[in-house]
Amino acid sequence: MDRVLVVNRGEIAVRVVRALRELNIRSAVVYSTVDRAELPVLLADEAYWIGEASASSSYLKAQEIVDLAKEIGADAIHPGYGFLSENAAFAGSCQEAGITFIGPTPEAIASMGSKIESRRLVRAAGVPVVPGGDDSLPDLTAAEREAEKIGYPVMLKATAGGGGKGMRLVRSADQLASAFRAARSEAEASFGDDAVYLEKFVEGPRHIEIQILGDLAGNVFSLGERECSLQRRHQKVVEEAPSPIMTSELRRRMGEAAVDAARSVGYTGAGTVEFLLDRHGDFYFLEVNTRLQVEHPVTELVTGVDLVEAQLRIAQGEDLDPNWESMLPSGHAIEVRVYAEDPYRGFAPSPGTIDLLRLPEGPGVRNDFGVREGSQVTINYDPMLGKLIVWGRNRDQALRRLGRALHELRIEGVQTTASLYRELLRDPDFCAGRLDIEMLERKIQSGELDPTPGDQGLPLGAIAAAIEHFERVTQRAVSFPAGREGSSVSGSRLRWREQARREALRGGSWSL
Amino acid sequence: MELVILDRGVERHVLIERVRGGYRVEVDGVSHEVDQARAGGRLRSLLIEGRQHEVSVLSDGNGRYRVVGTAGEEVLEVRDPLTHLAQAGADAAATGVKAVTAYMPGRVVALLVSEGDLVEAGQGVLVLEAMKMENEIRSEVAGVVSQILVEPGQSVEGGDPLFEINDD
Repeated sequence: MDRVLVVNRGEIAVRVVRALRELNIRSAVVYSTVDRAELPVLLADEAYWIGEASASSSYLKAQEIVDLAKEIGADAIHPGYGFLSENAAFAGSCQEAGITFIGPTPEAIASMGSKIESRRLVRAAGVPVVPGGDDSLPDLTAAEREAEKIGYPVMLKATAGGGGKGMRLVRSADQLASAFRAARSEAEASFGDDAVYLEKFVEGPRHIEIQILGDLAGNVFSLGERECSLQRRHQKVVEEAPSPIMTSELRRRMGEAAVDAARSVGYTGAGTVEFLLDRHGDFYFLEVNTRLQVEHPVTELVTGVDLVEAQLRIAQGEDLDPNWESMLPSGHAIEVRVYAEDPYRGFAPSPGTIDLLRLPEGPGVRNDFGVREGSQVTINYDPMLGKLIVWGRNRDQALRRLGRALHELRIEGVQTTASLYRELLRDPDFCAGRLDIEMLERKIQSGELDPTPGDQGLPLGAIAAAIEHFERVTQRAVSFPAGREGSSVSGSRLRWREQARREALRGGSWSL
Repeated sequence: MELVILDRGVERHVLIERVRGGYRVEVDGVSHEVDQARAGGRLRSLLIEGRQHEVSVLSDGNGRYRVVGTAGEEVLEVRDPLTHLAQAGADAAATGVKAVTAYMPGRVVALLVSEGDLVEAGQGVLVLEAMKMENEIRSEVAGVVSQILVEPGQSVEGGDPLFEINDD
């Protein structure tokens, strides 16, 4: 492979470009108009304009991207996550054009992309699945019959789903009709497919997923688990490896189940098999993500395996290192996703310009960010700015490092979720590793994670403003030599002063 | 320097003066020893009684400051007590002749305008040196400088009238 086209933006495009440079492979990126001067372009070898800001007129233009790849002589396309990464038709078009799609085969993507199909396949391979969900439901009557059979509470899910869209929890029969309607219309709006199905709702579960790698020779290995129970709107925000409650026995069983699930579709490349783990230690297959995950760095930090490099090597026909098959995690890694959102206003998006960005450094800290100072955060794309990942020799050290790193992190211009994570580190349940997938929303709602007032009683703002004001006022006056009369002030000084005064009076805009 | 700071709806009375290498800032009667240093761009290090606080400070050039600290962002309005009084009394007495007094003892260094000049709100009228610092005394209102009551080199006490502005 000499040249790879990266079809994504933000932190994951940066991540892939970095791996390509480390392997001496030329990196090409596509960019939309608003991303012209963003990090992926700045760090890549080549960059090509693909369209206007909205994703549908840029990063989702499948045919144009395949044509571009041919035109520039790219050997492969790396899709990152999101956008075209789990689009079987796109993977197929790449294949037809003679371009390697870095990911599994179009067939594997297609069968894992359908929740019902993937459940059927993995169940046949002996992997436990959540009861229910064998067929999509044609109408409310079918839904009622299915729900009675499984027993409440049940979960409605979109067949083509992902990212929590089209999901509804139904606790009793009287809630079913409205939830069924809502789930269908949300599924239609999100995926262009209104098919939904029912599953038994597992109470208070953890979300635990297994990272797998498969090579072209048919070897499939598990690289261990990630605990991703801290979620909002069914989207992960904090992930760690290993899971705080994992035992070597459970890891072995879940790893084997994941490998079996992957083998059932001839899986190649990097993938993730997601499970729910209930309070009794029983786990159930959820779905397979046929791509690199946002949270892949925590696995990288505890295994030492560079997953993007592994993807690229597998795509070039290299076999997996057999030593990886029995690898155990070393130390503990935690990732927090830094979103441009206000966690205390229902995670409302906070678009704006990043006018200050200071990322933490020091031992055990890794930053995977896709923005720089001056970057515009727009509503066109996912609001994740990047990820802060820490490693420690055990969970306790990782938590302390996370606290230290969040203390150093400074982002201004947009609200971010970093403030929430600072509070989370004071939460006894999080610190003890007592997690479940509803915990974060529950604790936000109850006010347990409300911002802790900083220096109580200290009027920090007033002190800062007073000193700033004092210095501005006195500095302005300093331009006049002490003891001289006004009339002796030189013309140039007067002009300078006049200019400064005009600037000051213009008002409205903030300045240093 | 005496200041009135509007801080989240609270009116704080602040006295600030330079002391060896730093500041003494008295807020509502509570005194703080503060050392301030610029830490790049908008960042400031405040050592308050030796404890480090990092804040970023932006100004709109009109006495409003946006301060971002660990507890989040706030916008504060800094006024000298006269402006504050003028602002407070603005509703009552709409226009007329206003005397501007020295808010601290010092020495007049320079006059920036002459009697009869038209000044804008916020324009400097004279420079007062106090505590080895020079401070520009600005007119809070637009109007005509009807009278200048001091001359360069003259010492004044706090409360002494400096000039009068007619904003009719």
